Amino acid sequence: MEATVLDSWVLAEFSTPDALVTATRQMREKGFEGMDTYSPYPLHGGSEALGLPPSRVPFIALCGGLTGVATALAMQTWMNTIDYPLNIGGRPLLSLPAWVPITFELGVLFAAFGIFFGLLGLSRLPQPYHPVFESEEFRTASTHGYWLSVPQATGTDAAPVMDQLKALGATQVTLVTGEKE
Amino acid sequence: MAETASNTYQDPLEPRHLVAPHHDDASLNETLLDHVWRKPGKGWFMLFGLSLSALGLLVIGVTYTLARGIGVWGNNQPVGWAFDIINFVWWVGIGHAGTLISAILLLFQQKWRTSINRFAEAMTLFAVMCAGLFPLLHTGRPWFAFWLFPYPSTLGAWPQFRSPLVWDVFAISTYLTVSALFWFVGLIPDLAALRDSSKTKLQRTIYGLFALGWRGSGRHWHNYKIAYLLLAGLSTPLVVSVHTIVSFDFAVSLLPGWHATIFPPYFVAGAVFSGFAMVITLIIPARKYLGLRDVITDRHLENMNKVILATGLLVSYGYLMEHFVAWYSQNQYELWTFYVNRATGPYAGVYWLMIACNVITPNIFWFKKCRTNIAIMWVASIAVNIGMWCERFIIIVTSLSQDFLPSSWGIYTPTWVDWSIYIGTLGLFGTLFLLFLKFVPAVAISEVKELQLELKHAAHQHGSDDALAGAGTLTHGAH
Repeated sequence: MEATVLDSWVLAEFSTPDALVTATRQMREKGFEGMDTYSPYPLHGGSEALGLPPSRVPFIALCGGLTGVATALAMQTWMNTIDYPLNIGGRPLLSLPAWVPITFELGVLFAAFGIFFGLLGLSRLPQPYHPVFESEEFRTASTHGYWLSVPQATGTDAAPVMDQLKALGATQVTLVTGEKE
Repeated sequence: MAETASNTYQDPLEPRHLVAPHHDDASLNETLLDHVWRKPGKGWFMLFGLSLSALGLLVIGVTYTLARGIGVWGNNQPVGWAFDIINFVWWVGIGHAGTLISAILLLFQQKWRTSINRFAEAMTLFAVMCAGLFPLLHTGRPWFAFWLFPYPSTLGAWPQFRSPLVWDVFAISTYLTVSALFWFVGLIPDLAALRDSSKTKLQRTIYGLFALGWRGSGRHWHNYKIAYLLLAGLSTPLVVSVHTIVSFDFAVSLLPGWHATIFPPYFVAGAVFSGFAMVITLIIPARKYLGLRDVITDRHLENMNKVILATGLLVSYGYLMEHFVAWYSQNQYELWTFYVNRATGPYAGVYWLMIACNVITPNIFWFKKCRTNIAIMWVASIAVNIGMWCERFIIIVTSLSQDFLPSSWGIYTPTWVDWSIYIGTLGLFGTLFLLFLKFVPAVAISEVKELQLELKHAAHQHGSDDALAGAGTLTHGAH
């Protein structure tokens, strides 16, 4: 049996989204890192409270879109102008205006793929297992619960962190330990 | 003016509700997921049975067509395009309202879209599937349909990229793919909610599989928000491009009645017109069955009726311009097509039905009484769908049946195979839609919760005082 690496998190539930955002900000100001919030919908000010850098999804989308445009132009030009030239009523073999619709469509298609797979890749999804799911109460995070997770070195005393979270208004705190992702 | 402004921008809690005010996150969750956990009622099974029998017609029609060839359809020279293209354009058009609601209204920050976007996106997806079936079958040998795509083959030939029919292939397949991605991305948080409210292990496993392990992480939402917005931004020009390209199938030809520069905008307006009508047709029974009156309120219906009125006027303008340009050109073929053939020819009945449904019917929505009466709007929405089907029939069949040379004129009549494939796609659509209503949240739960929080914040800032809220309405109404 191979050894499993364990990962621990302190989970704290807050009663409102605003309380969660405030608590996150204060915990970060205290120097905690690698925290994460969990909520059924995006929190207003949540990204700022976690101190996240701007998302890289738009850049990936742009790359996807440009790849699509370049692919479409190259494909049509090579296929209809070079490899299999077709004389349609004497029109120029390289008729760029006629290339426009497919160029646009492929640009959109590749950009959409970039967004979708970029989102999954940056979020490391699909990932059916995560230590936070060890707590059954945590299931409310997708319906009506607002949770904060603070990483905790496995085997160390989590009480001080839990106390701080309670002081910030957490309604319940637990420690979860599971396999490292 | 005050009414319009308050309806779309202003504090949506006043005077009528977008979300019934007694809800919090937990109760919204319960209400919106209830229909998934509940055993479907008798009505659902009846409709499902009806849809399945119509789907049976599709199976019969398609099997017969494949066995005997497309000669069993009514179209032949000179009317080479008929039910196959009419229904293709009709279904694609219906699909467009879904994208419009979910994408364009999102970009314009129209808060009322939130309760209906999931529903409309599902409609898009299923409508485009039905649409795709027709050109596929019309190829005659659908098992060679991959010839439409550029792939290195032993035939040594490539597609002809100057042809709008090839553009269509790319437009429709891109549209289907992007709509599916958009729909699924929107669905992920709700699938996680389903997973976490599951009562049995099987449900939890299945919904968990589709939820991809979504845990509502702030780091994920950070990317998710921008990804969703970008997909909306992409879908907006995409939807316009798709129906533009569909209209190119006609507009780039030289046939009188097809060869018109107004076609792209006129087709897009018609698509939105019929699509919104279809949303109304479906949402009225669905919200009753699903018990969703708290989130799909009368205000949503009224707003959609306004869109139907606006796009209906655009479509009427399109008809007017077609007739004007025919007269202004003094081209004898154009004059014949618009003033003699369509209005008095063999298909005049269809033409006047189209005028009645598309030009006259939407005007009842000038009146608030009609915009807010469920029975009236439901009947009107069906009339619009019929009218838009007639429009495609008129455009395609009249122009082909009487073109330049009277010796090559001919009459088209659909066969039973045409009808059963058409009714069959209605069955396919109904079946998919009913399955969607049963297994997936019909309303974007996470978005409704977010909206609800926003509304509460807004109400808080404006002050709960009635006088204050009233003053707010007035100031907003002023500009």
